[in-house]
Amino acid sequence: MTLIDIRKKIDEADFEILKLIEERMEWALRTRRLKNTAADPERENDVLENAAGAGLSLLRAEFNRGLFERIISEAKHLEDEHRLLVGFQGEHGAFSEEAVRTYFPGQVAVPHSEFEDVFRGIGEGDLDYGVVPVENTLGGAVTRINELLLQTALHVVGEVKVRVRHCLLAQPGTDPKDIKTVYSHPQALAQCQSFLRRNNLEPRPFYDTAGAARMLFREKPRAAAAIAGELCANLYHLEVIKAGIEDRDANITRFLVLSREPLKERGDKCSVVFTAAHEAGSLYRVLRIFAEAGINLTRIESYPWAPDPSGYAFFLDFRGTPDDPVVAGAMDRLKETVRTARLLGCYKEALS
Amino acid sequence: MEGLKLTSLSGKARTMVEAGPLRFGAGFAVIAGPCSVESEDQLMTIARAVKAAGADALRGGAFKPRTSPYAFQGLGLKALKVLDKARRETGLPVVTEVLDPRDVSWVSEFVDILQVGARNMQNFSLLKEVGKGYRPVLLKRGMHSTLEEWLNSAEYVLSAGNPRVILCERGIRTFEVYTRNTLDLSAVPAVRELSHLPVIVDPTHGTGRVSLIEPMSMAAAAAGADGLIVEVHHNPGEALSDKAQALLPEAFGTLVGKVRAIRACREGLEGGIQ
Repeated sequence: MTLIDIRKKIDEADFEILKLIEERMEWALRTRRLKNTAADPERENDVLENAAGAGLSLLRAEFNRGLFERIISEAKHLEDEHRLLVGFQGEHGAFSEEAVRTYFPGQVAVPHSEFEDVFRGIGEGDLDYGVVPVENTLGGAVTRINELLLQTALHVVGEVKVRVRHCLLAQPGTDPKDIKTVYSHPQALAQCQSFLRRNNLEPRPFYDTAGAARMLFREKPRAAAAIAGELCANLYHLEVIKAGIEDRDANITRFLVLSREPLKERGDKCSVVFTAAHEAGSLYRVLRIFAEAGINLTRIESYPWAPDPSGYAFFLDFRGTPDDPVVAGAMDRLKETVRTARLLGCYKEALS
Repeated sequence: MEGLKLTSLSGKARTMVEAGPLRFGAGFAVIAGPCSVESEDQLMTIARAVKAAGADALRGGAFKPRTSPYAFQGLGLKALKVLDKARRETGLPVVTEVLDPRDVSWVSEFVDILQVGARNMQNFSLLKEVGKGYRPVLLKRGMHSTLEEWLNSAEYVLSAGNPRVILCERGIRTFEVYTRNTLDLSAVPAVRELSHLPVIVDPTHGTGRVSLIEPMSMAAAAAGADGLIVEVHHNPGEALSDKAQALLPEAFGTLVGKVRAIRACREGLEGGIQ
């Protein structure tokens, strides 16, 4: 091995160390709800003893103890900052995390493997907020979120739009012509089809865009690259071979911000879900209410309603606030007209 | 000349090759920039300078075919990303040389025109690969090649499916050593007799001497060339390659003014270029 090779290994190890410390900080912050103060001398002592007695051949007990004293002190400092914990679905680096960072700059984005976990985390108080995708300009509605919104008691308190910009990522120093296979979520692969074809690359489906980037970082497969957001380049020590490789640029995902409590400030956009009787004209009667009130609808979506397979639930977004008597009147008329109706939330409309 | 089914003029209309906003074969196209991309700062500085001086397109090498394997070989992907940035910022279409057939699709992702260099004029696998691509090809004349061999190389690209070829005379090897090569300007009207493809001139490699670039550029415009490709560097003494033959941006600005005047004069004499 040359000095350059060895230093490359050292750089990789350093990056892994920092990543693991960051992950540890994230777990420490997630203990918040379960203890009253950041300090916990008994637990700290256990951690220090574990580190001191780790029995690794090159690391002295005093070094380990000192290192973990620093880590614990930093963790307590972070805990005392009381940053918001915001859940998203996916691995670190997912487009959902970009949405979290856009809407809640400087707060803590907490990854979850399933959408349900995000909803449950908010409901149980582990998370302050959650940010979940509802629709994409190319891919349409995120059906699983519709399903969860039908069942949840959470409130929509905001929305955020993220332009999905796909990047081809590979190990730093990769020669593009050595790349043969590209891992990513099937939807991302589909959105970059013409790029893949032009460069004769074989698409390999993966469960998640950020997960594919993470896999490249962990496993370092040969001749491979991933399609993911630019955020993943930093998070997983990868090089952006080319940014903006999607076939069409109008690729925007809209996310909703969820909370246990409704928004206290005045919003200007509302999301409503209702179920209508299965009879001729029932949807028409609803739309007429809004048309007559002069309310501008921004989205309408139907979704099969599980409790009654023959019925449908409808998601409706419109501009306005229930503080406005016109909107309040329309909501009252809506409730009289349909079987069930719920205001998911009133919030500030995202700028496009 | 036999066998030039697609390249020969023989009754065909003259080809205009579009690259972004630029059209080779309609007006006079001036391509300028450094021999190699050395850094982002270097390229952006030169890109802005040549644009201000009147260039229509930017050149810059990412892969360099050097005589010695120990000489600077180019920055590869890093240079391509810088070229991409320069074309977005300045709006100038970008030309870069491609050496390896396996790089063709990748280089096409970052630049507007692919150059096949003099040393690769008869690299037939490279010619077929750029012929299958979707980018215009700037095909330089090999330093030992006859016009017939050169036009046959163009035929390779055309027959592989890419009709967008721009020919470039860049000097041939003769017994003369004062100049780096002997710039064969008779090739310009000769190619225009033989082929419908646009032809431009590289006076930098054609002479290898800064003092000869401007007069030979004017001669090229007078001979009916469709454009020029010229090396420009804001600090030629520090250049990593071809330091003795790059023009300063100011000298390049003067050159552009003069060649455009010659071109206008020629159009006046000929009643417009056919």
